[in-house]
Amino acid sequence: MALITRGSGSVAVLEIAGRFDAHVAPDVLAWYKQTPSSAVVVNLAGVNFIDSSALAALAGGMKRCRQRGGDLKLCGLQQPVRIIFELTRMERAFDIFATEAEAVASFTI
Amino acid sequence: MRIAIVTPYPPSAGSLNEYAFHFIRFLRQKPEVREVIILADELPPGQAYPADTERQPGVAPLRIVPCWRFGALTNSLRIVRAARDLAPDIVLFNIQFASFGSAKPAAALGLLAPALIRLAGIPVIVLLHNIMETVDLKSAGFGANPLAERIIRAFGSITTRLLLRADLLAVTIPRYVEILEAKYGAMHVLLAPHGSFDEAPPPSFEPPPGPLQIMTFGKFGTYKKIEPLVAAFRQLTAAGRDLELVIAGTDSPNAPGYLEGVRQSCADLPGVRFTGYVAEEDVPRIFGDASVVVFPYTSTTGSSGVLHQAGNYGRSVVLPRLGDLAELIAEEGYTGEFFEPDDPQSLADALARLLDDPALRRSMGTQNYLAACGLPMTEVVEWYLLHAQNVLKTSAARRQVPASPGGMAPR
Repeated sequence: MALITRGSGSVAVLEIAGRFDAHVAPDVLAWYKQTPSSAVVVNLAGVNFIDSSALAALAGGMKRCRQRGGDLKLCGLQQPVRIIFELTRMERAFDIFATEAEAVASFTI
Repeated sequence: MRIAIVTPYPPSAGSLNEYAFHFIRFLRQKPEVREVIILADELPPGQAYPADTERQPGVAPLRIVPCWRFGALTNSLRIVRAARDLAPDIVLFNIQFASFGSAKPAAALGLLAPALIRLAGIPVIVLLHNIMETVDLKSAGFGANPLAERIIRAFGSITTRLLLRADLLAVTIPRYVEILEAKYGAMHVLLAPHGSFDEAPPPSFEPPPGPLQIMTFGKFGTYKKIEPLVAAFRQLTAAGRDLELVIAGTDSPNAPGYLEGVRQSCADLPGVRFTGYVAEEDVPRIFGDASVVVFPYTSTTGSSGVLHQAGNYGRSVVLPRLGDLAELIAEEGYTGEFFEPDDPQSLADALARLLDDPALRRSMGTQNYLAACGLPMTEVVEWYLLHAQNVLKTSAARRQVPASPGGMAPR
């Protein structure tokens, strides 16, 4: 598992790779807390497994961002990850983009 | 958001009452929830629902409106009337196929309620804890002969279609989503994790002084049968082990008098204890004192809340080799010893493997504790609120678009 963070203008980007599960979720929650921006993109292009704890961490992050007037958007979902989003209908709760550039750009539209 | 929940709720002994208690406990703590209204079943004479007198800051008020009765034929109409009068933003059903009655007409008619409420213009989410396609009707107390079983399954399919009139239908096992999508072409079925009830502290794995306790917990008499467990216990104690068998819980509403019959049949056997109804505050002690938790099921009707509780308290478990439970174990990270349903020897062997090996009990209890910690109920409630907000958004948009002639607006 790897977490990489970067800024793109006023948008904070979190890139996760490998398994996104109960062991990684606390690190992601900690990252939200130290990130001043309420405009967040989580890039899941490198994630090959996601569990319910990870989904809960993403949902919690989205709620936190929206409460502060922003949003949390997702990009780069691989097929196994997309299946979990579809199974849980979470794809209807999040704005999901194919690429990080599209997700970042959506904040300025 | 004002949310109404159709569910049994303690002290009602109806199935899923414990799930409702924990779900609502966390739901009330969410800032977006302004009020929770429970559309509950009517209690027997002499019992009453607790009054919501101790308001805490940050906790939404709770109103309990008893408006249906287990086994009655008019439940749907009464529930719809109550929902219309109370006008919540959304109605959530916490149900399974026999929630409204053990007799087929009452059970089926009660399940019309979600469709009727949606027709009345109130958005509906159904959490369905079992599906007809995976229920062993014979073991669950229905379907005495093959023809009757086929008829019940046909009615089950019709009832499922009616339940699918809800805005969303949530189930707790991935296979249920696949079955409902494949058989009914449903595109609004979703997987929602069961969730763990308590943020229990890390458990103690040491058994209390005295005999090791084998414990089973639930509502017994239909597909939860004690007889094989008593027979297995008889074998284990005959072999010289110092044990106690604790049967914690009550009769299933579908099998009144069942436990009394079992009690009489094993009156000669020392070390068997029947607790009767277990109050919420006694649950930690009951699980904490148990060395092994047994699931003497002959079929399953959905994800087991008792398994999550056993996990919360770090207990080792013995389970039947039945499709749903094995799948749940594998998918949610639990582990257990398995036995052949209705086979006391197989059950005694599984129990012996755990009772004779404290290290195995400890490692299994640890794994189950970690699995139960996976997704707390508070997170599961967040998921439902997210889905509820989407449903409300879609419903609002639908109201602004003129309805298509001859039918309901598309989802």
